[in-house]
Amino acid sequence: MKGQRRFIVTMLTPAFFFLVCFYLYPTVFNVANSLTDLSLFGLRCGGDWIGVANYIDLVTSPDFRRVLWNTVIWLTAIGVTVRLLAGLGLAFLLTSRTIRKYRLETIGRVLLLVPWATPPIVAILIWRWMLDTRVGIINALLTGLGIVDQPIPFLASAAWVWPALITIITWNTLPLVTLTFVASLQSLPSELVEAAEVDGATRLQVMRYIYIPHLKPAIIVMGLMSTFWTFNNFVYVWLTTGAGPGLYTNVMATEVYIKAFIDGRLGYSSAVGVLMAAIMAGFGLIYLRVIAQRELRESF
Amino acid sequence: MAVVAAAVPAAVAGRRRRRNLLGECALLFLAFVIMLVLVYPTAWIFIASFRTPETMFAVGGWVFTLTNYTHLLSSGFARAIFNSLFLCATSVVLSTIVAVSAAYVFSRLRFRGKRPLFAAVMLGQTFPWIILVTPLFILFARLGLLNDYLGMIFVYVSVSIPFSIYLLVGYLEAVPRSLDEAAILDGCSLFQVLWRIVFPILLPGVVATATYAFLLCWSEYLFALAFLTLTDLKTMPLLLNAYFGENVVEWGNVMAGSALMTLPTLLLFLPLQTRMTSGLAAGSVKQ
Repeated sequence: MKGQRRFIVTMLTPAFFFLVCFYLYPTVFNVANSLTDLSLFGLRCGGDWIGVANYIDLVTSPDFRRVLWNTVIWLTAIGVTVRLLAGLGLAFLLTSRTIRKYRLETIGRVLLLVPWATPPIVAILIWRWMLDTRVGIINALLTGLGIVDQPIPFLASAAWVWPALITIITWNTLPLVTLTFVASLQSLPSELVEAAEVDGATRLQVMRYIYIPHLKPAIIVMGLMSTFWTFNNFVYVWLTTGAGPGLYTNVMATEVYIKAFIDGRLGYSSAVGVLMAAIMAGFGLIYLRVIAQRELRESF
Repeated sequence: MAVVAAAVPAAVAGRRRRRNLLGECALLFLAFVIMLVLVYPTAWIFIASFRTPETMFAVGGWVFTLTNYTHLLSSGFARAIFNSLFLCATSVVLSTIVAVSAAYVFSRLRFRGKRPLFAAVMLGQTFPWIILVTPLFILFARLGLLNDYLGMIFVYVSVSIPFSIYLLVGYLEAVPRSLDEAAILDGCSLFQVLWRIVFPILLPGVVATATYAFLLCWSEYLFALAFLTLTDLKTMPLLLNAYFGENVVEWGNVMAGSALMTLPTLLLFLPLQTRMTSGLAAGSVKQ
């Protein structure tokens, strides 16, 4: 038994070395930095202790209210809702009787992998081309069909930039959500739906009492995971708009980066990071409650 | 069925069939449009990468060419391909060895503190990377790990480990425990059981996990952006983004570079994916 104990420690140490050095220590270090005025240009000398001044700055800044609104409402709430609804719709389409009748499910599922296999950086570049005012295909189509007279500067106008961003994110992340829902729908015994129809249930009733309860676990998992991925995502906003036009689409993730590496205020940037961590910790507790508990019970 | 059909007047049945057919057509058209929107952008990268920048966006008169690729590969991008491949490959090998060891312990052995430790691993999966960038930058600057392969390998191993352990524990559940027990009775040490008996059977799962980890590093942008500032050390995503400037866009480089970045992920992704989603779905539909 003593040998077993040594085996456990030896095998777990490398993994936890990385986890502690990469996740735990920097997180704690970040909290310490957020209480200083550490600057990018004075890294060697370190910063001075200034207490919670960074947090007071942050809470009272009107710019930050805009950032918070962008992150929570636009990026996360609207972004995740659109993704889930589009994923559900597409999953129902892919498992519909017509698609099955013409044997198109497999080809549909393979084609669905293409956006997922496209790296985010490539997805963003290609959409930036498509949304371009001079050579982009979307503006070419819109003006060609006579829907608009002037090309729309999708990524430079306040009215269009968020819908455009959400379109790009949805395109790239839709497959995972859709395929999860498809798998869930396929595990639903078709006799259940048929029996309900024979008994005279309307489509709405079948949806309400059979499909939705069956899909609920998948929707919860995907909703939570999407919330994590989206809330913390830096790449989509940064590479699509650079938080612009101006700072119109600035979100918390890009704020951390801008404050640290462009303005050089590492202390302030750390404070934004700590706030993000706090918000995510709240979500994390829900995540552990809902998913991880079940996994742990299943596994061991 | 026959009885029902006979009971319905012929005219009504015909109308119903026609309405069904119309509905089917509408549905198929909708599916076609959606699939076009999903596939077109990626497909277009590959098409455009073989056209000259001048004729790239023209309606007709395309000129087929390989110059985009030859031009790109003779520039600094060749070095970026090497950087990406080297960083990803090294990190994947390291993280897989570390993750297999840890996953075996989590899957097979009982010990105190197992649940909280596994929960910590699971939490790592959803940990926001952006929060780590600032403190790691400060630490790396002080340790001299900025603009250093070693620093990036440390980052990529660390980001791969949580998901790798999680996936491998799942795959290990499919390897019969009786094998371990038989080997132990035959006098194998636990270490031998893992690497000589279990590992060869686990190999398909290990390959899937390593592929996933590779793709994660391959398209990683944030840490590379913050920690690599020397042109010689930059990875493919960094250079690719620089070609798409605010005012000047090097279309040939953008398209050929995007194609080179997407090709491996497409080739690796298709075989890997089927298992991934079925696993995710299985996890989410369990009651």
